[in-house]
Amino acid sequence: MTARLYLVVACVGVWLTVVPAASAHHSQSEYDLRAKLEVAGTVTKVEWKSPHVWVYVDVLDDKGRKVNWSFELPSPNTLMRRGWTRDSLKAGDGITVAGAPAKNFPAIGIATSIKDSSGKPLFTGTTQIYEP
Amino acid sequence: MPAGRLADLKTGLTRYNHRLSTLSTDEERMMTTAESTSAVNRHSLWLAILLFVLVAAPAVCAQWLNYPTPGIPRLPGGAPDLKAPAPRTSDGKPDFSGMWFANVPSKDYCREKDCIQEERMAREQINLGIKLKDGLPYTEWSKEQMKVRRANGGREDPHTYCMPPNFPRAWTLPQHTRIVQTPGMMVMLHEFNAAYREVYLDGRPLPVNPNPTWNGYSTGHWEGDTLVIETNGIRDDMWLDIQGSPITESARVTERLKRLNFGLLQVEIAVNDPKAYTRPWSVTVEMAVQVDTQMLEEICMDNEKDTRLYKK
Repeated sequence: MTARLYLVVACVGVWLTVVPAASAHHSQSEYDLRAKLEVAGTVTKVEWKSPHVWVYVDVLDDKGRKVNWSFELPSPNTLMRRGWTRDSLKAGDGITVAGAPAKNFPAIGIATSIKDSSGKPLFTGTTQIYEP
Repeated sequence: MPAGRLADLKTGLTRYNHRLSTLSTDEERMMTTAESTSAVNRHSLWLAILLFVLVAAPAVCAQWLNYPTPGIPRLPGGAPDLKAPAPRTSDGKPDFSGMWFANVPSKDYCREKDCIQEERMAREQINLGIKLKDGLPYTEWSKEQMKVRRANGGREDPHTYCMPPNFPRAWTLPQHTRIVQTPGMMVMLHEFNAAYREVYLDGRPLPVNPNPTWNGYSTGHWEGDTLVIETNGIRDDMWLDIQGSPITESARVTERLKRLNFGLLQVEIAVNDPKAYTRPWSVTVEMAVQVDTQMLEEICMDNEKDTRLYKK
């Protein structure tokens, strides 16, 4: 799929509420959680491993150059407990990723939303949780 | 797949195979056209069920994440009866065995909306003293330690670079704990790094001048229906939460475990650590039983890539 870089870095204070201050094994302070990032491209690789899943996406920047972005997701266990599998996302899939960029490195981010080429969110839902 | 459904399918397949083996040529000749059609339809039905079992089931039931836990109290509709009385062992003690996770409400909107990073997490994971009016009573030494620990935004957190899940911090981490209880020992298995902790229930004393470890050395005794776990021998450089609250070799930790009912485990954590805190303190965390699921190992060093991203 032809990819296109859409938006990078816009300070939105309220966005802090979208991403929590901590995830499965670290503080997330390595990301600029105030900055909004959205890119569209083609998945080149999925690392479905602990402690975090990483998804790599080829994206064309505004000069038409191909940039391989890497995006951090929660752990495979967290995702599997919401009903997703290692096959939910695979190389060749066209996706749009929203998230926050790393503070100190280019083309690295943390994903908060992934949609397929039709705009449908790929990672939704959860397994049954019984609450006492 | 529920055991009952599996048994039904096995019974059906056995009958089907038996039917095939007993169909002689004579029998087939005696069939009317209608009967033959009916038999073909029945065979087609069983083949369809077999195909569903072989093809669809693995996608629906990856691992045993939705496999019913046997032997637990259930409501008429099949859901676990979380308000049922706490189970007891054969010797009459409360039984804490089972999988546990911090009692954090789920966010129902995640069932329909996109919220990848919305994980269930205990607030105590960030600050173990978050429910205390004045917070944890840090000594000046602790306050200086925490400045250093936070200087690199969390890069120094042992949990970030995949070191073991140390109790009592492990109660608040976003991985599951399984308790295995025997008369002489309680074992806590933790998903993070497939770790374990032993609690001796055989009456032995705590060790004197032990070699410090991540979980220290634990013994337990019963006070009524409460299991009181005493721990010493903790390493000098441990963290209690993400913000870097210390716990040191001078600490004596007392955990009081009480199973309130089938669904809830109350864990009071009392810390007496004169090096890190100006006075003893205690907090209580609540754990919710996790049923119809399984432990999933999480080996952190498998693909750790976050420490490179922090400033140095």
